[in-house]
Amino acid sequence: MSTNKTTNTMHPKVREAQEQMDSGRLSRREFVRYAALLGVGAGAAYAMAGLPSPAIAQDAANLPFPADDPNAKAGGILKVAMQVQKIDDPATFSWTQASNQTRHMLEYLAMTGPDNVTRPMLAERWEASEDLKTWTFHLRKGVKWHNGDDFTAEDVKFNFERWTDPDLGSSNIGLSSVSAMVEEVDGKKRLIDGAIEVIDEHTIRFNLTKPVLSFPEDMYNYPTAIVHRGFKPPLDNVINGTGAYTIAENVVGDRCILKKVTEAGGQPFEYWGGTVFLDEIHYYNFDADNQLTAFAGESVDAIYDFGVEQMELAKALDGEIIAARTAQTLCCRMRVDAAPFNDERVRKAVTMAIDNAAIKPLVYPEGGDVGENYHVAPVHPDYEALPPLTRDVEGAKALLAEAGHPNGITITIDIGNTDGPWHQTAAEAMRDQLKDAGITLNINVIPASKYWEIWTKTPFGATAWTHRPLGTMVMSLGYRTGVPWNESGFASAEFDAALDEAEATLDVETRKGLLAKASKILQDASVMVLPIWRPVYTMASKSVHGYPAHPTQYHQFNKVWMS
Amino acid sequence: MLKLILRRLVQMVLIMAVSSLLLFAIFDTPEFKKRLAVQELGGFAVSALTEESYKSWLAGRGLDVPFHQRYLNWVGNILSGDFGFSYEKNRPVGPLLADRLANTGILAFFVFALMIPLSLILGILAGMKEGSLQDRSISFISVFTTSIPEIASAILLTVIFALGLGWLPVKSAMIGGFSFRELVLPVLTLVIYDFGYVARMTRASMAEVMTSQYIRTAILKGLPYRRVVMRHALRNALIAPFTLIVLQLNWLLSGVVVVEVFFEYNGFGKLLLEAALFPDVEVVQACTLVAVAVAVLSQIISDIGYTFLNPRIRFA
Amino acid sequence: MAVTEIQSGPSLLDRLSRPKPVIALALLLWLPLTAYVMFGHRLGSGAQNVLLPAIPATVLLYVLGVRAFRESRVAVIGLTLVFFWLLMAVSAPYLPLMDPNKPIAPFTTPFTERGDLFFWLGTDFKGRDMLSRMIWGCQRVLVWGVTATMVAYVVGAMFGLISGYLAGWWDEIISFVANVLLSFPVMVLFIVILNYLGPSGFNIVVAVTFASAPAIMRIVRGLALDIKTRDYVYAAQTRGEHPLYIMIFELLPNVRGPIIVDACLRLGYTTVAITTLTFLGLGLQPPDPDWGLMIRESARTAMLWKFSYMLLVPALAVSSLILGFNLLADGLREMSLRD
Repeated sequence: MSTNKTTNTMHPKVREAQEQMDSGRLSRREFVRYAALLGVGAGAAYAMAGLPSPAIAQDAANLPFPADDPNAKAGGILKVAMQVQKIDDPATFSWTQASNQTRHMLEYLAMTGPDNVTRPMLAERWEASEDLKTWTFHLRKGVKWHNGDDFTAEDVKFNFERWTDPDLGSSNIGLSSVSAMVEEVDGKKRLIDGAIEVIDEHTIRFNLTKPVLSFPEDMYNYPTAIVHRGFKPPLDNVINGTGAYTIAENVVGDRCILKKVTEAGGQPFEYWGGTVFLDEIHYYNFDADNQLTAFAGESVDAIYDFGVEQMELAKALDGEIIAARTAQTLCCRMRVDAAPFNDERVRKAVTMAIDNAAIKPLVYPEGGDVGENYHVAPVHPDYEALPPLTRDVEGAKALLAEAGHPNGITITIDIGNTDGPWHQTAAEAMRDQLKDAGITLNINVIPASKYWEIWTKTPFGATAWTHRPLGTMVMSLGYRTGVPWNESGFASAEFDAALDEAEATLDVETRKGLLAKASKILQDASVMVLPIWRPVYTMASKSVHGYPAHPTQYHQFNKVWMS
Repeated sequence: MLKLILRRLVQMVLIMAVSSLLLFAIFDTPEFKKRLAVQELGGFAVSALTEESYKSWLAGRGLDVPFHQRYLNWVGNILSGDFGFSYEKNRPVGPLLADRLANTGILAFFVFALMIPLSLILGILAGMKEGSLQDRSISFISVFTTSIPEIASAILLTVIFALGLGWLPVKSAMIGGFSFRELVLPVLTLVIYDFGYVARMTRASMAEVMTSQYIRTAILKGLPYRRVVMRHALRNALIAPFTLIVLQLNWLLSGVVVVEVFFEYNGFGKLLLEAALFPDVEVVQACTLVAVAVAVLSQIISDIGYTFLNPRIRFA
Repeated sequence: MAVTEIQSGPSLLDRLSRPKPVIALALLLWLPLTAYVMFGHRLGSGAQNVLLPAIPATVLLYVLGVRAFRESRVAVIGLTLVFFWLLMAVSAPYLPLMDPNKPIAPFTTPFTERGDLFFWLGTDFKGRDMLSRMIWGCQRVLVWGVTATMVAYVVGAMFGLISGYLAGWWDEIISFVANVLLSFPVMVLFIVILNYLGPSGFNIVVAVTFASAPAIMRIVRGLALDIKTRDYVYAAQTRGEHPLYIMIFELLPNVRGPIIVDACLRLGYTTVAITTLTFLGLGLQPPDPDWGLMIRESARTAMLWKFSYMLLVPALAVSSLILGFNLLADGLREMSLRD
């Protein structure tokens, strides 16, 4: 696709964004991101922004992968320590690990790179209507399934139909893009007639009931891998994909072996994404605690992740520590309808007595960002900093006294350590700070599985939230009045309205302001202590080149090579 | 004798039936089902489920029927050789358990191959001359090693041989296939904990025999000391240790849990712990059946052995 | 008592060596410690002083113990190890230690100075002082270990007495249940029970009771079967005493001797079990220090030669305590055989 052609079919908002960039309101990098989101090839976007095209943009072939390393050597087996899970049906995956097992076999319409830019993958490009309610995806030509079939719009349609089948129970139905294609009839959700239009073999159009900004981003959510139109679970019986590798063996809790595909339906297989270097990718099952020790024992070349408590161990090992900045966090939220937190003054006293900036270095000395008690992270493109929080112990005491607790108060937080023991470290730091304001914090540590049983119910609990590419996404999932994942019981019409407005706005500057307005409402309500945006750490040996650090730990090893 | 064995076997079946019914009842609680759902669907997803879709999930897993009914089905399947299905590992329990038992079997084989000669020789050496320096030092060593819990000796061995000297691997996951080097530390850990106990029992038995009338007579008759020990004392002194060693098989099934978890060795113990925590009911059930069978069978073997070795005892 | 001793009269230590003062001292040591560990957070500000009377009680008990066991060197060594940890447990709040839960300087190696603080045993991955964690850690191990063993003994002895003395159907049923429980490998039983009840100290007590009581019941049953044929039991029966009275006042005191040795051994097993279970994540929960927990955390963060002190400290601590129990049991057995 030439730059010229791209400009012709360009979404009007791209022009608008370009103007913003030119006038200095939008950073060049943000422009690249938005332009790519709206269907401009990333390379073209970089060119328009006047930025040197990074290694990733190989515009000639419009590939989402990094450029080939000229020193790269073909061959070799990459051994990775990770939990090896059940992969019966990609649409119902619950964990990233399972999607990593299939990621090199089953591919996605779009791909969000480690730089947080979403690029076309199985789609070649896409266009959105001005009202963001109609999205047209142009699919890549020449993509072959491993059984020899061509990849067509029918495959894509088949997948969307599966995801919207309520009996399948796919979490994709909750994505803002997919949920805008379903209606509720007699309490059951079903696909709206005409929501999906197959224009021709390689073009498909989606008609949505509401404007959706994050359609391309949704298409790289881990359960949205595209399966063959004849797919019937379990996957083990119908091993087929479009990727460069195929699963040769998957033993849950033991290993998952992927091998390079050489032939498809009797013909030699040519992978659409260009050269891949590794012969095989092996995942070996190690639970989170043992991955780094397995790496230390040189059983594996790379790992899925390690916790901050293992940092010193990692530093002492021979290998490369890779850190990614994310919007993963710990949200210590108080239920606004449970005593004593139903009194806003108590919640306020808690947040005022805590100094988030002092907690971060205790928990994550390296990397990460300080949280500000609302759920938008600095890595989000639509983040705008609110006035900094300051700790006010005296003020907290005064508020407590006013709320009828002049001699202090004792509260208990439930900690499930669902994302590792750092949750507890954070809570302990909070406990020490709250003491100064006369608040006694008891830390109730419970097993992770137990925590998930009570996470929406407990009066005061520390819940781990995963990374989502846009700031509006979590705000909408977790804090809108009455939504299922609203764990704090927060209900504010003002907030909902501000968020609605932000979600329907493409213009970045306006959008930032609108989201900041919603953020401020949330922050002022003192619903949560959100102390940290955590980094994720992984590690690879020095013989592994190009091992990517992805904020959601999605593995993409097409351009990885071993020396 | 035959009657005794039969009685034991009947008792074993009875115990198996009772314990598996109990396990089914235990794992039938709503909390466990919820936990299973969390494991399978993820914590966020489960709490977003409607009551109805949770029920249909339960139905899909076959968990919506009362546990006694599931129990009867399960018993029927067991009788036809089907051990059920592992939710966690997504494969039939039979082959899964066979794999893991084989791994633990390898471990156990080397443990016994090392532990039996070591403990018997030490026990006999100590028991031959009760109260001597030899006896006291061997006794102290065996009390000392038995006092180091497996977790501690696993750490000591790992620190010395894997982290310090770098001779042996830290973990024993054997992802590159079977490896003797990875087996050394788990085996040593188990041997260190266990040999002291058997050695002490052997010593006690040997000491008792050495003070008995007929050995004294033999020595007084002027028979060479070595011959007395080898010909007369040993045979009688080894009866008690024999039964004990067979019973160690039962102990080993407990003992391997922590060793396998620490060294990441994929055996029976690690499977059991993972299954219990998951909770993977049918794997826990199958593991328990195996454990009970091993316990009862080793008891029977030790009884039989005791009878045959000891001419003074004859069961009616 | 020999006639010659009458002139001087029994010394203070002699008088204290009698059962009643010993039991009183043991209670004085045990009750505050248990209260402190199990219900410390409910005691409020009084918690600080509750352990004060336990310190002299511990020292006095140790002196009495050494006097009583002086003929067996092994027993004295064992006693010393056990009482060393008991003393550490009761005096932990008054020792000049750092806060065991306070992160200071992560991964400080032993014998180094950071700022104006000297770390004898270094710090762990969170920067908490290892020396302090080791000493505080023995509190939980000792309290839960001994409590669990005691409860198991009460339950086991009770059923043993009933089964042995009443015989008949009682015996059949109790023996069968005991057989069922005994045919599980101990670890299977622990895992299933704790997984069902959830990991906590009180549930460890329950699990240990289930695992140990059947064996204790068998021992007591055997002893009861033997003792109930003695004359004094017949005498009581002829007097028309209630079976409950006979069991508690005639049988129980006479089975006491043999089970003390077994109790010492079992204390060792229980300590191993608690440490192991905590390592497996089924036992005591963080953040308070505990040896099994220290091992669990270090196994994840310190699998490296230069950090191996983090693994070695709790491993050696737990080994020394268990060695203490085992040597004590050995010495007691030796002495009982001599008598």
